[in-house]
Amino acid sequence: MESIPLTWEEVARVYGRKIYNFAYRLTGNPDDAHDLVQEVLLRVRRGLASYQPGSFEGWLWRITRNAFLDDVRRRNRRPTSPLPEEVDRWDAAATDPADIEYDRITLGDDIQKALLELPIEFREAVVLCDVVGLSYEEIAMAAAVPIGTVRSRIHRGRKMLRGLLG
Amino acid sequence: MSHPSEMISAFLDGELNAQEAAGLKAHLGSCGRCAGELEEFQRVRSAVRSLPLLELPAGLVSGADAELIPLRRHRGVMVGAAAAIVALVVAFAAMLTPPSPTVSIDDLSSRFGARVSLDPAFGPAKVVVPDWETEGIEEE
Repeated sequence: MESIPLTWEEVARVYGRKIYNFAYRLTGNPDDAHDLVQEVLLRVRRGLASYQPGSFEGWLWRITRNAFLDDVRRRNRRPTSPLPEEVDRWDAAATDPADIEYDRITLGDDIQKALLELPIEFREAVVLCDVVGLSYEEIAMAAAVPIGTVRSRIHRGRKMLRGLLG
Repeated sequence: MSHPSEMISAFLDGELNAQEAAGLKAHLGSCGRCAGELEEFQRVRSAVRSLPLLELPAGLVSGADAELIPLRRHRGVMVGAAAAIVALVVAFAAMLTPPSPTVSIDDLSSRFGARVSLDPAFGPAKVVVPDWETEGIEEE
């Protein structure tokens, strides 16, 4: 029986780090990841009152990816584009000497750069699988797509990464 | 000969059922191309999984600030809302104040509203921003 966190603080405590890592790997930017985590936690706080027992992880990650996609739409990015502007921003931010933690993370990080070049659907599937550690079924629930689509997205995402990483 | 390329990733993730996995293994034993792909996908998968798990930035989430999460993207909205409230209060106060023949409506216009006072010692009307307004602004 799945244990369901009762308060949003417990959700933050248990899942906050995972959500942050998901957000960071998808956005490639600590400020955007910071904002996304806060947005997710606000939505969790609002949504917990009406939460129906079921797959809590599926519910949580659906909220998380929807918050991310809403942010993408807000920035008028095309969901299926490679988002080159994110790569540019990554490069610019990495030169900021004031952010030591950021430099530490980004130094020689070809994998993160390659992730940012994936179309959002592929990037999301790969990150949920390889960074967050969700099963295909959980990813399918979060993204509201069939498992076969998840399988295809992860495969195509890795295939693109293989080409990008050389 | 068909190559079950898409199944390779799922195989690495343990997402194939027993029958599918057995079929793929048999194929990999006789197909160098797919066996090579398996190695390459394994390398990519390991690379992504090797990304460091980042710590949650200090202060991002804590029980102490549970009720007051500082949403940066909403700060502009909060400033606007505060300004609107101040403007409404000032407008209401202006309606209750008897009209003065020496003060025009232009004297009342400023970003957050203003109180107008007349100082005979210095001649023309001047605009004074009350303390409670500036305090409200500083809080933002």
